[in-house]
Amino acid sequence: MKVKGHSVPTRALIWLIISFGILILPQFDRLPLWLTAVCVTLGGWRWLAQLGHLRLPGRLLRTAIMLATVALYVITVNGRFSVDTAASFFVLAAGLKWLETRASRDFYVLFFILTYLAAVNFLFQQGIGWTVVNLIGVVCLLIGLQVLNAPTLAGAIRASWKRLGMMTLKTLPIVVLLFVFFPRMAPLWSVPLVSDRGTTGISDTMTPGSISDLAQSSERAFRAAFGGAIPVHRDRYWRGLILDRFDGETWDQRDDAAFIRPGRVALDGGIGELESNQYDVLMDATNQYWAFALENSVAVSDNVRVGPGDLFRFKRPADTSVRYRMAVEPAGANLEGSTSLTDLDRRRYLQLPPTGNPRARALAEKMRQKTHGARELAQSILERFRFDEYFYTLRPPVMPENGIDNLLFDEKRGFCAHYASAAAFLLRAAGVPARVVVGYQGGEVVGKSEYVLVRQYDAHAWVEVWLSDAGWTRMDPTAAISPDRIESGLRDAMAEEGSFLANNWTSPQRYGDLAVVQWASLYLDRINYQWQRWVVGYQGQSQMDLMSRLPGGVGLRELGYFSAGLVGAALLIAGLFSLWQQHSGRSRDPYSRLIQRWHRLLERKGLGIEPGDTPEQLARRVGDEYPAAQKPAAAFARGLNNHYYGVSHKALRHARKQDLARMRRLLAVFRTALHQTDKRHQKPR
Amino acid sequence: MVKALRRRWSRWVHKRIPRSDTQRCVQRNIFILPTGAGVVFAFLLVIMLLTAINYQNSLIYLMTFLLGAVFVAAMHQTHRNLSGLELALIKAGEGFAGDDIPFTFRAAASDENAAAIQLSTTDRHLEHQNVLAGEPLDLVFLVKSTARGYLGMDQLRIETRFPFGLLSAWSWLRPVANGVVYPRPISPPDKGMSSTEGDDESEERSADGHDHAELRPWRTGDLSQRVLWKRYARSGDMIIAHWEGEQGSPQWLDYGAFPGVDQELRLSYLSAQVLEREKSGHPFGLRLPGQVIDPDGGAAHKVRCLRALALFGVPNPLNRVAA
Repeated sequence: MKVKGHSVPTRALIWLIISFGILILPQFDRLPLWLTAVCVTLGGWRWLAQLGHLRLPGRLLRTAIMLATVALYVITVNGRFSVDTAASFFVLAAGLKWLETRASRDFYVLFFILTYLAAVNFLFQQGIGWTVVNLIGVVCLLIGLQVLNAPTLAGAIRASWKRLGMMTLKTLPIVVLLFVFFPRMAPLWSVPLVSDRGTTGISDTMTPGSISDLAQSSERAFRAAFGGAIPVHRDRYWRGLILDRFDGETWDQRDDAAFIRPGRVALDGGIGELESNQYDVLMDATNQYWAFALENSVAVSDNVRVGPGDLFRFKRPADTSVRYRMAVEPAGANLEGSTSLTDLDRRRYLQLPPTGNPRARALAEKMRQKTHGARELAQSILERFRFDEYFYTLRPPVMPENGIDNLLFDEKRGFCAHYASAAAFLLRAAGVPARVVVGYQGGEVVGKSEYVLVRQYDAHAWVEVWLSDAGWTRMDPTAAISPDRIESGLRDAMAEEGSFLANNWTSPQRYGDLAVVQWASLYLDRINYQWQRWVVGYQGQSQMDLMSRLPGGVGLRELGYFSAGLVGAALLIAGLFSLWQQHSGRSRDPYSRLIQRWHRLLERKGLGIEPGDTPEQLARRVGDEYPAAQKPAAAFARGLNNHYYGVSHKALRHARKQDLARMRRLLAVFRTALHQTDKRHQKPR
Repeated sequence: MVKALRRRWSRWVHKRIPRSDTQRCVQRNIFILPTGAGVVFAFLLVIMLLTAINYQNSLIYLMTFLLGAVFVAAMHQTHRNLSGLELALIKAGEGFAGDDIPFTFRAAASDENAAAIQLSTTDRHLEHQNVLAGEPLDLVFLVKSTARGYLGMDQLRIETRFPFGLLSAWSWLRPVANGVVYPRPISPPDKGMSSTEGDDESEERSADGHDHAELRPWRTGDLSQRVLWKRYARSGDMIIAHWEGEQGSPQWLDYGAFPGVDQELRLSYLSAQVLEREKSGHPFGLRLPGQVIDPDGGAAHKVRCLRALALFGVPNPLNRVAA
């Protein structure tokens, strides 16, 4: 009878294990392999123990396992602190807790850990599919809780689903209203980065060849929606960053961004109507500071700032997807366009390693003598690329030493990074300031010019050259060698070679000739885009934009009041409803209804009912007043007694209906008897 | 300070829940508070909201609101799970001092199931009782007894944490009826002390046992086997046949037979003797100061005697109602 710290029922535990499995799914590509293995082992161990095939480890072994895994964790994390490492820790804690889920208390600890893990998962994955996966995980947790709390109830699982469904349905309007109206205030303080490893997309160094790794990836980089017409493919140069220092092999940035404490999470770009020269970029997480923008863009939303070289930067690495808004201004309106180059900058953009690539240097010198001015020089370099036998390939040969010489004179086969590097080298060697720009080029138009979808394989490198009359001017050697790449994209450029996504079997983009695959992949992306834009992207600025369409000045404070009022009103309505239900709802127990009717009858006849009266006492009193009604009253009272104090009901369940019918008849007989007595009493008077 | 507050609280509760053997849980007598897990859960929701704000993450906002709504809906659910539940003490048990005395309750749910109901007193629990709609359930709750006399149940907590265990709704049943605790039977050291009269005749008389039955109307406590169902079918009246069977020559158990023995011990001796006589089937009578129970046999007589022993010198507990 005294059951404390009861064990966890199997039916509840299975839901917890399922939920654990579902909730680590969104983490699968981040978790260290050993951690996944540990979790699977420990979860399996717990399950086998529940089935009785294995015993749970004793305290000593448990401590040993805990120490070993925590040590492994500390080594893996190596002092880094981000949501990523914290999430791994959650997973580890949940995994270890499996060995200790003996009582329902432990069940709750796991419930809390897993619920928060589900929330953390949303920092990593915000697609509609992952959202559904995450919510299913949470639902499984809630089902498990219900089973845990009513382990002996028959049909508990089905009832749990139904109950949860009803609860969600009933509260959904409030949830939606809160989602829309809850004040989306600015971040209260800086929080750790979601992830500080595995930056994705373009890196801030370029060793010719490195971009070709990206060319094998069809991951999404960003999506851009335009207010006006979408620029044609060859004009879609998305500048990301400038590489200005060359050491003979690798291009990188001179002023390495020193460690900056990551600021608060940036607000979103807003959802107001796009003007014809504006565009919205919805960028996936890169864990980098830079934003991508078309040439001659200025920032519209305040989550990006312009930096040197007309590049745009976030205040905090894009650790989750971020949306920003830009506007294209007429050429020359940008900051650097027409100003002259300082001596410092001139030196910087002419920098070359003192030795190496002698043939290229000689060529540059020859070209400089042959041409007049920078523009002509650049032109002649492009002509050389265009008319000589240079090839654009995703399978460039390895050129370890004097790579530029090798490319220009021997191999003549390379990727955009090779040619950009070579062109910049030639320009600098000839005394013309030049720099390498990396970013993306092109992108696929989705739907009826709904947005441009830019993938990692659209990564590109080109050159900007300083012309004293026009400032920095784009010069893309790849366009000279493989116009297809610039006009219509990498897929067409590589059609002959057949190397497009050759190593990426799982990418739908690889199967470009299968229209259905293409259509399905793009359709999914469109759904996700709308999801990202309207649900995921509904943040501070978007909310304000939406609210500004309402009459009256609606600020965060008003929204706060409104939300509080909303919750209060909902609670009030729910409370009133339940009160009403209780007052209006008659008792469903047929016997108590019979008693109520009986009492009403008696009261009408002026027989007062005291709280402690038993049916038999009442019957006796009835008998005293109305002798004719005595018999049915007594029988009725006996029937009641029998019902309430007779043999346990289960034994008599089959007889219930008959019994109830008999009681009803008795009450009817009693009533007529009572009335007849009444009349007789009245006549003499 | 704490004590005074507690006293005030219990006075208030007592006013809301008057003493009664039946209790229907309704709005005014159901209390609801989050459990420890519920408090942690609320704290977790706050953390999640902070995470959502600081990471500007809409989906975490959404999940926080969803879980918050579930929490509030759970409050409703938990309350409703208990609401409408009727609990009646249908039989306060009887037993010997030191034993667990069964109190039988009948729980009836209203139109909705009442799942995972827990009954508890300060030291006992009865967990996970599911009362389904339309299927009243009899629950036996054991109460530890220490001394003979009336055994009351101060208050029985009716609690449910269903469905999530995050909230606990409870009410109290404060029963009036008392159980009866018989003196613990202790065999007297010498059996010869009770007076025996005409012991030898008993066997002949019991041979012709079943010849005359006494008929009387049904009353509370009668076994259904003894009801004359055929007669009931004819007339609708429930008649009990009381078989005057095992008639032997009476044997008297006397309070005065143990001179110099302490009162409680005497009662324990008598208790043991009652059991022994009843087992042997001999009719016997009981003489207590100020009370005489005429010789008879059978289970009902035994209970009558044991009750007399149990309540000997014990004041009537009915004044408790006023408390």
